[in-house]
Amino acid sequence: MRLTRRHFLGGAAAAAVAGGGIYELVDKLGSSPKRPVAEPAGMPPEQHVFDLSTVRSEGVDVLVPPLHSEVVTATLAAPDLPKAQTQLEDVLRELDARYPLTPAGLGVTVAWGLPYFDRFVGEQAKTHLPFDRRAGKPVLLPNRRFPSDPSSTLLESNDMVVLLRSDHVEHIDEARTAIFALPFLTVTSIRHGFAGGGFEGGLGLPKKMGVAAGVPGADLIPDGAELFLGFTSTQKAGLGPGKIANHETLGYVDLRSGYFHGGTHMHLSHINEDLEAWYLNFDFDERLLTAFRPGMKNVRVNAQTIPQGPAQVSPVALLESQFEKTGRFGHSASIQATSRLLQDTVGADGTAYPKGTAIPQRADFNTLDNPFMFSSDPKRDGMSKEPSAGVHFVVFNPTGDDFERNRLAMDGVLPGGKTLSVPPRNRAQGFNSVLTTTHRQNFLVPPRRHRSFPLAEL
Amino acid sequence: MRATAVAALVALALGVGVQASTAAPKASCPGAWAKGWQRLADKINAPVYCPTWMPNPLDAQIGGQYQDIYSIGKDRSYLVGFLEHGDLGSGDVHVNFRGYPGRTTIPTCPAPVGKSTVPCFADPAGKVVENGIRATVYQVNQGADQWHILLAWRYNGSLYSVSQHVIVPYDSVTRVRANLKHLLKSLVLVRPQD
Repeated sequence: MRLTRRHFLGGAAAAAVAGGGIYELVDKLGSSPKRPVAEPAGMPPEQHVFDLSTVRSEGVDVLVPPLHSEVVTATLAAPDLPKAQTQLEDVLRELDARYPLTPAGLGVTVAWGLPYFDRFVGEQAKTHLPFDRRAGKPVLLPNRRFPSDPSSTLLESNDMVVLLRSDHVEHIDEARTAIFALPFLTVTSIRHGFAGGGFEGGLGLPKKMGVAAGVPGADLIPDGAELFLGFTSTQKAGLGPGKIANHETLGYVDLRSGYFHGGTHMHLSHINEDLEAWYLNFDFDERLLTAFRPGMKNVRVNAQTIPQGPAQVSPVALLESQFEKTGRFGHSASIQATSRLLQDTVGADGTAYPKGTAIPQRADFNTLDNPFMFSSDPKRDGMSKEPSAGVHFVVFNPTGDDFERNRLAMDGVLPGGKTLSVPPRNRAQGFNSVLTTTHRQNFLVPPRRHRSFPLAEL
Repeated sequence: MRATAVAALVALALGVGVQASTAAPKASCPGAWAKGWQRLADKINAPVYCPTWMPNPLDAQIGGQYQDIYSIGKDRSYLVGFLEHGDLGSGDVHVNFRGYPGRTTIPTCPAPVGKSTVPCFADPAGKVVENGIRATVYQVNQGADQWHILLAWRYNGSLYSVSQHVIVPYDSVTRVRANLKHLLKSLVLVRPQD
């Protein structure tokens, strides 16, 4: 019989998980990566920019993700906005002063959902919210389902969200406690998880945590894998560099008043991952072509870090011809049709980005939440105490439409309207057959100077 | 002397008879199952492996209550499956035995997508040695062995396999591998009768 979470907590590991639950095992089962100790000279204007150290993995530069990440969503209980703005900013500044903005310290990102802008600052939002001129739509779009989403995917309506990132769970605990002690915030969910832990050898956290929790298929995760699905996801060339995901950088956005200069768009979702289906039905070659693209050559069997630099970007024509030939397409190749720069580009701040540079900045992490660690509405959210393999997907894009383009490409809907026709969640369609999205919501991440109740002071 | 006494105590504590060091009688295909396996060996005119142990609740009686698939190909290859299907949520216990007389290469199966073929047994993940058999563990398998862990080995110019489905109540690869190791240990060869 598989251990349930209750059994797990009642077993020998009970002492280790008594406080923060299963995730305290991250600190028992993993060791903190070596991090630079110097504090950055100053806080960047962006909330979402979080510098990570780099290691070499199988000859590829890889960013070392924080061991722990947590997302807390909340609604607002009719606050006195100016007062609430000051109170939240005070708490955030205290955290800024206490912890360096590094994974060894703490990263805090506060973002706001459409319900906040509609309900609390509607008039100001009409004037100041950025507009995506490329798409002809607001930057912050209403939530939607995508072709491979089941009809059960919940579209959420939280007012705000806080993303906390650190190698030390106690830093996250302290930040969550401090922020959500504010009386006008009502927590709707807490979502916790982990990533990495295997770059310096050993099993890696996803395998250790999954096996410890008795998650089906966890014993098939390759040793050292950064994430449950076995491939390294944070290679440097696969993540948007610097400020590329800012609203203003690539020129997609009309910033109007400029209030949100330095901000970005954040999408949050929870996705269940069927590890048994992945590892028992897809051999390495099929996992490779499913995760990346058909026809890859000279890849070592059981490799985890597959180069995905500009030189490896799959042009749309190749994607289409491989689809014609094989009847299937890979996850990375389809997304790269929209997630990489199609030409050399100079950003608004003068930074040059070569063709093939990644735009989205992902901050996703694996989880054993099912689907969350805490929910204020367990029935609606389908809460279960049985640990389950999944990912809390967090990604920063310049606009909501930019995210949607990438997500649609993942389902074979390419820019220009061409569709690689594969039934939703079919095995021929990248990862989709082993993923099930349970929740989605879009948020706007204001620049640091306006992170607390944006527009409330106007 | 002291070491002998300690060893005896340990053996008792483990439930192992103190006479375990003496040669055990060579196992044979259990009486109720032997007829079916012998008939199979005779029909394909090649040795087959009869298990002397099966994961609970299965037995390996060909023609018995748990037999699922019984198939012999034109090339004399065979597939014999045993299945307990738990309609009330207790799960499935499903074990397949295969043999490919006169060939040692891994067969090919239709690819899950497209018109190509793929190896029927793939993603090797180590070896298991039991009962004089050195088997390769395959984690990704096709056809009736899909979602099974499979052990395959070669004997006398032929390929054989045994596999078990990873599903409740045997719902972890670790548990299924332990069952398969036990199965491998339990196999006895049944030769065709002249």
